[in-house]
Amino acid sequence: MDIAKISNLKSKFVSREVGNELILVPLTNNVAQMSELFTLNETARFIWENITDKTSTSNLEAAIVETFDIDNETAKNDIENFLKQMEKLLANK
Amino acid sequence: MKKTQNELNLIIAGFTIALFSDLIIELEEGYLPFTVQHIDNKPDVVIKCYNGIKPDILKDSHLVFEAKNDEQRFYSIHKKEEDLIFVIYNQQNRDEIQQMAVLDASFNHWKVYSNLSDGKLLPLRYPMGPIIMHYMTLKSDAVMMHASCAFDGRQARIFTGFSGNGKSTISKLWADAGNLIINDDRIIIRKSADGYFAYNTPMYYTDRPKKAPLNAIYLISHSPENKIKKLSGALAISKVMAFSIQNNFDKQFIQSRLEFFSNLCLNIPVYELGFVPDKSVVNFILANEKTETK
Repeated sequence: MDIAKISNLKSKFVSREVGNELILVPLTNNVAQMSELFTLNETARFIWENITDKTSTSNLEAAIVETFDIDNETAKNDIENFLKQMEKLLANK
Repeated sequence: MKKTQNELNLIIAGFTIALFSDLIIELEEGYLPFTVQHIDNKPDVVIKCYNGIKPDILKDSHLVFEAKNDEQRFYSIHKKEEDLIFVIYNQQNRDEIQQMAVLDASFNHWKVYSNLSDGKLLPLRYPMGPIIMHYMTLKSDAVMMHASCAFDGRQARIFTGFSGNGKSTISKLWADAGNLIINDDRIIIRKSADGYFAYNTPMYYTDRPKKAPLNAIYLISHSPENKIKKLSGALAISKVMAFSIQNNFDKQFIQSRLEFFSNLCLNIPVYELGFVPDKSVVNFILANEKTETK
């Protein structure tokens, strides 16, 4: 899973803000059984909302560092964790 | 006993439904307690029932949704301009169309096409009936869920989860403890000025219409010991919504459901419950549901 792929998939989701979190519901053309929908915490939500077709890992990392006042290593880990989470969530799509 | 007429009225979860046909309409037994002689105002849903399957109505439509698995093909949904066309397949022969239906953009008017059976039309033959009920809720403050619901005379508790997680088992335990079971498989939750209410819907067996004020939602699973955890925020909403009946091919449907469940979970507590399938779970819930805040 990479940022470009997520950028392409964003239009296939409907989102709703709940507090600092975001719920994502995938558009689907079949009956998918899900134990829960996609919920993103504050950092994951920030990453999701800031991914566009022009986003690179490095400028996303810089935006996270600036917004959450964390170091680059932590921001990098956050992006990696987000991508892993999305890969897992989208595995059955 | 089955009811036959060429005009029939139903009230399901407070929604008024009028069926019309030039031919005789037959309803399965489970619908009979929901029939009424008259509907005072304009019906919420009007169903016109016709004889014969009309594959031609699919011309110029496109497939938007298909409910099927490796073994079975249940139904497909096609869009034609603003109308939705439903094709229901025979469960014994997946290539044979059992019924077709057209729903207009208002979501209030259905045309249902069925073949005559012994000179009568069965417009709400499974799964057409539940599909109509689902779409009836989509433009209202209501939702249909796979859940069981027990009412203690004061409050109703809903139990939902995957098939096999114990919805029927837990409702039987609450029934043994003197509770009224609203239904053990499928319910409609509806918001009114007085709060949220759970309703039963017609099943394959006969049961009278029931309604109860909703006070708690439990996401259940079997467990070696009884355990409970209160959920809140996005997690509660997403987990409860996952067990609602959904045809998520349309962004507006999803937005409407997200709004409903967000408000529902803001007003009704949601718990994750692991339970041992014996009567201990009833007292466990009674002892813990109000105090559990983790």
